Amino acid sequence: MATVNSKRMDKKTWPKSNADVCIRCATCMAVCPVSRVTPLFPGPKQAGPGAERFRKSGDSSVDEWIDLCIGCHLCDMACSSGVNISELNLMAKAKYLDEKGRPLRDWFLTHSFLFAGLASFFSAITNFLLKNQAVKWIADSLLRIERRRELPAYQSPTFRQWFRKRPSSPPFEKGGDACLPLGGQGFEPYSKDRKKVAYFYGCYTNTNEVDVGKATVQVLEANGLEVILPPQECCGLPMLGNGNFKGARKMGLKNVPSLLKAVRSGLDILFSSTSCGHMIRHDYSHLLAIPGTEEVAHHLFDLFEFLRNLRERGNLNIHFKELPLKIAYFPPCHLRSLGIGLPALEILRLIPGLEIENIEADCCGMGGTFGFKKEKYEISQEIGKDLKEAIDRLNPEIVLTDCEGCRMQIRHLTGLKVLHPIQILRDALSDTK
Amino acid sequence: MKGSMRLQTEVLIIGGGATGVGIARDLSLRGIPSLLIEREDFLSGASGRNHGLFHSGGRYVVSDPEAARECIAENRILRKIVPHCIEETDGLFVSLPEDSLDFRDRFIQACEEADIPAYLLSRDHVLSLEPELNPDLLSAVNVPDGAIDPFELVLANAKDAENRGAKFLLHSEVTSILVEGDRVKNILAKNTLHGEEYLIEASYLINAAGAWADRLLKLAGLRMAMALSKGSMLITNQRLANRVINRCRPPSDGDIIVPNHTVSILGTTSVRLEDLEHFEVTPQEVSLLIEETSKMLPAIEETRLIRAYAGIRPLFQSEGKGDDRAISRGFVLIDHEKRDGIRNLITITGGKLVTYRLMAEKTSDLLCRKMGTDLPCSTHLKPIPAMDAPSNLKDRLKASGEAEILCDCELVRTDEVEKILKEGGVKDLQDILHRTRLAKGTCQGGFCIYRLLGILNEMGLAEGDSNKILRGFLEERWKGIRPVLWGSSIKEEELIESIYKGIFNL
Ligand SMILES: Cc1cc2nc3c(=O)[nH]c(=O)nc-3n(C[C@H](O)[C@H](O)[C@H](O)COP(=O)(O)OP(=O)(O)OC[C@H]3O[C@@H](n4cnc5c(N)ncnc54)[C@H](O)[C@@H]3O)c2cc1C
Ligand code: SF4
Ligand code: SF4
Repeated sequence: MATVNSKRMDKKTWPKSNADVCIRCATCMAVCPVSRVTPLFPGPKQAGPGAERFRKSGDSSVDEWIDLCIGCHLCDMACSSGVNISELNLMAKAKYLDEKGRPLRDWFLTHSFLFAGLASFFSAITNFLLKNQAVKWIADSLLRIERRRELPAYQSPTFRQWFRKRPSSPPFEKGGDACLPLGGQGFEPYSKDRKKVAYFYGCYTNTNEVDVGKATVQVLEANGLEVILPPQECCGLPMLGNGNFKGARKMGLKNVPSLLKAVRSGLDILFSSTSCGHMIRHDYSHLLAIPGTEEVAHHLFDLFEFLRNLRERGNLNIHFKELPLKIAYFPPCHLRSLGIGLPALEILRLIPGLEIENIEADCCGMGGTFGFKKEKYEISQEIGKDLKEAIDRLNPEIVLTDCEGCRMQIRHLTGLKVLHPIQILRDALSDTK
Repeated sequence: MKGSMRLQTEVLIIGGGATGVGIARDLSLRGIPSLLIEREDFLSGASGRNHGLFHSGGRYVVSDPEAARECIAENRILRKIVPHCIEETDGLFVSLPEDSLDFRDRFIQACEEADIPAYLLSRDHVLSLEPELNPDLLSAVNVPDGAIDPFELVLANAKDAENRGAKFLLHSEVTSILVEGDRVKNILAKNTLHGEEYLIEASYLINAAGAWADRLLKLAGLRMAMALSKGSMLITNQRLANRVINRCRPPSDGDIIVPNHTVSILGTTSVRLEDLEHFEVTPQEVSLLIEETSKMLPAIEETRLIRAYAGIRPLFQSEGKGDDRAISRGFVLIDHEKRDGIRNLITITGGKLVTYRLMAEKTSDLLCRKMGTDLPCSTHLKPIPAMDAPSNLKDRLKASGEAEILCDCELVRTDEVEKILKEGGVKDLQDILHRTRLAKGTCQGGFCIYRLLGILNEMGLAEGDSNKILRGFLEERWKGIRPVLWGSSIKEEELIESIYKGIFNL
């Protein structure tokens, strides 16, 4: 086991700035959702490689607008020269916020995992409070958390509690590999020596959308796999997104050893939240220099990417029942940035009766905790407009997307039922629900 | 002469570089009227094509202590009178393993004798100040070097002189100097843009034509012994170090890296040449500069270069021969009355940007003696007002959020350029480039120049064919970019070329 806590987080471990390779072509300007809606943000070309030439290490930050970058990575994907634009922005943001100080609000928004356990336990009270107008008023005026945002409700029991307490999953208790638990027939069970997988569920699944976790476990089990939950903490993305490198790194230093242990015992690790996945696969190694990440990243898969791999090997349970639903699917920015295509869409298209369309829009505008902040709410809404219009045109019964931030935003924008794709896949696999 | 416009002035100054403009300001403070004539724009000579090092004197302190003393004295004065033109960064004289520590100790000793504040820094301390420096270095000596912005310096001087009554005639070349008996009587000049001719009568003539000084004298039938040396420099895309980085060894090629706004400038070389008008940076010079400077800052090997340029130094064979750097970099002030019996002619040339004020003072003092007055100099006391565009990086970045940007590499605002255009006096594209940082960044004007032409057109300033203006600009730009064209720069060039070929039919 590698010891991973000695390395200091200083500027030297930050990635090399490749602002030099920017050829000023402005392609990135065409995709930035923020500069599209507000003149306050100069756009990726200027905010990243452009401003980089003006930042001297000794000078204090003056680029207040850097805080408006939502961190969607769309610019990185558009740049043909490989400029790490969103990383340059994030580092500048970190410096700006380090100097200016972070509001208490940001602490609350990025440390919700600390009191999430308690909040779940007392979920009835917490949820009452979260909906309470007086509390909202306090949040709004004292903490500058936008009042028009629904604060996510807490659920009890948490996913982890549910997982631990539930009766052991049907065919596995005696180590059997006759694995057709949900009435399917005739598919090859997943290979014998690789029948366990580890699941990184993320804090939102644990305390706020427990059913996503349940559905993930159920689908995996329906494919003959045993699910293990390695010890885990918040991935740290909310902190990183708020320029708190130190805090984010601390979370990473807790998670990686545990994930590494799982990997070294022969497990693949799956994530159902594309944001957590992007954080671990990309930012842990690249931005935070957390030792051991490379090895973890090789065995880390998006849930549907993994299911797609099963299907390619003929191992996916495709005994779906008919689901006559009209569905729209939105690929989150972080999913697109993973560069794995749209695996959820591919798998869901196998479900008979399901009418599913891809939503052509760039970014939902939520940006993790960005959309909760009072001063950024309008921008967040404005960015989301395109997405809302695209959804309206499709007029679906349900919207699916892999990221919790996107789900919150789409619920807020449209009032529709919004789920993780795994929840629909589970429904298609279960006889009774 | 028929058909030519007659002009009269007390003093005619030839040359719109730092020296000539400095003299115009000095005289204006003394209340002596002058007209300055320049064949192109301000800064078209060495003043716009140098390394921008705000010398502490350290560079010369071992070889030429006298020049070093002049530097440090002027260094102190300029910090007070033109703070807006100077980045007070300090400079390091870095000793690498192959450099002699004997030289370093002599250097510190000489600094002490010349009154240049110098102190030795340990390796670790140096690396904490400038992390990009070669980690193998032994030590470094800190001196009060800095960076000076010659454009701001010359233009702010000119503006202040103009407010005090000095006159300027730009884009006009002196073509003959008519001597009668012991005096220069008339000067003939020709406008280089539209060919108009001038006949100028002046009581006194000051030749401040820099490297062209000898050519001017030739027009009056006189000569001075001087050699020409080309110095080349390279500009990096980003600023690599905050301080001036010098090599602690006897002055040689490629041993100084000067920060300048957003970039670092690597220099210089020293190549003898004859032709003052046609010279380019050669591939050999480019490799030499990269090889030498990267010994101090290894990052230079991988960094992107955005331009190469060169300037000409005039050198005087007063003392030793051989290496050009052994020849004095001090200035030469010639009273042609004593030397050639011409009573109203003075030549001032050589020197450095940093000594421009002293050169102007000495010249004006000599002139006053000739005129029989003893009006005192006050340029060392009276600060020069800054031009109004924000000049430091932080302010630029901040201001960029507030207005439309014309040049997005250097964050030059549209209203900044419009203001300059409205003030008038700007005759061509090059003039605008001398007055702003437009086109000095990564794309070297590739993307902003055509936007500028749009503005010129809207304001009715693009006389005739804008394609011609554009072509002229592109030829100059190409000359600067060609020597450093590889990697990202090539990619960018292809894009820019396709824009100009495809959209502008050039
Ligand atoms: C490569 C190099 C690097 C240098 N680095 C530094 C440095 O780091 N720090 C520093 O302090 N100094 C430096 N110097 C020195 C400094 O640049 C010069 O000393 C200074 O600019 C000289 O200014 P000037 O006005 O005397 O000459 P110039 O700036 O050359 O001005 C002469 C002017 O006369 C005009 N002219 C010529 N002929 C005519 C004519 N017939 N009619 C009308 N006008 C005419 C020219 O167009 C020109 O504009 C450097 C010089 C060179 C060449
Ligand atoms: S990360 Fe997104 S919001 Fe930020 S600059 Fe890039 S495209 Fe714009
Ligand atoms: S960052 Fe990339 S896409 Fe944006 S201007 Fe530079 S090279 Fe073009």
